[in-house]
Amino acid sequence: MLTGFGIPLSAALAVSIAVVATFAWRALGALLTHRINTEGAVFRWFSLASYAVLAGLLTRLLILPTGGLASVDLTIRLGAAGIALAAFFLARRSLLAGIAAGTASFAAGALLLG
Amino acid sequence: MVHTTLEGGDPVKATTKPEAFKGGLAQGAGHALGLPALVLFGSMTGYGALAHDTGIGGGLAVLSTVLVWGLPGQIVMAELYAAGADLVAIAIAVAMANMRFFPMAVALLPTLGARSTPARLAQSHLMSATSWAFVMRTAAPEAKPARLGYHTGFAGTCMAIAATATAIGAYAAAELPKPFALSLLFINACFFLLLLADIRGRGALVAVATGVVAGIPINLAFPDTGLILTGIVGGTVGFLTSDKC
Repeated sequence: MLTGFGIPLSAALAVSIAVVATFAWRALGALLTHRINTEGAVFRWFSLASYAVLAGLLTRLLILPTGGLASVDLTIRLGAAGIALAAFFLARRSLLAGIAAGTASFAAGALLLG
Repeated sequence: MVHTTLEGGDPVKATTKPEAFKGGLAQGAGHALGLPALVLFGSMTGYGALAHDTGIGGGLAVLSTVLVWGLPGQIVMAELYAAGADLVAIAIAVAMANMRFFPMAVALLPTLGARSTPARLAQSHLMSATSWAFVMRTAAPEAKPARLGYHTGFAGTCMAIAATATAIGAYAAAELPKPFALSLLFINACFFLLLLADIRGRGALVAVATGVVAGIPINLAFPDTGLILTGIVGGTVGFLTSDKC
């Protein structure tokens, strides 16, 4: 593997391309301000596609993980996700409560059953 | 998404709000050190752990937090890098995940009063979903110099916290016993689960539901382009079923 300063070159390229792909949107928005209608149909499609990408990302992280998470049983992952959702809504949509409850129950599951 | 501007302002509270850049800067930094900091710290710790798990490493992870500064795109990047996807697939998927910054910048920049192009670009880079929401609140300063300061202070503080959390997450994932290291990875799944559970509007809900369900066979069959395809399928189904269509 090609490396520089102990960093794999392929990872540095992946980060660089992510920087460009993100900053391009910000720059476009900052420079085109006032000359663009963000309520049109094309925008609506892109915004919904963006949500669907995040949904696909959730599927990959929760149901089809490839890294370390794959070593923990699917039932533990789904159970902890259920607890995260329950805590989130019980605590009146508190992200902090949901993430804390989900992560803690995942740790308990991984320790006891993993 | 809410597209309100604060041009009109709130005359009742106007007298108690900072008017100058410096006052806004201090207030923004202070407001960032509340609940947003805790959620940000947790989610960025998860990203640092993922970067360690996928072989990206802590140094590059911190750099990506500061330079990408959009967690969905960062996690898409790490996921696809681990799956061995090529750079074009990573670029398209990250662009799709982070495209919200375009309409957000369009709505936010005119309310900050940054005139020069470098200043506008700098503010658009500092902007995050949280900083956007806080500056667009009616409680934020109304005078443009103070708003510019508020956004700079808020987002800059968030970025410093996030960079620290990323480093801690990468370090902890390497050093902690396995069940705890894996729990840090699970933060990412929790974060997106709750973010998506909080979405309103029929089109968006259908897009998310379609993305989750169709995402299983699509991402199994296409590990490298699966996220792009899921976005296209879910986005289109959501679009066709949304109220305005």
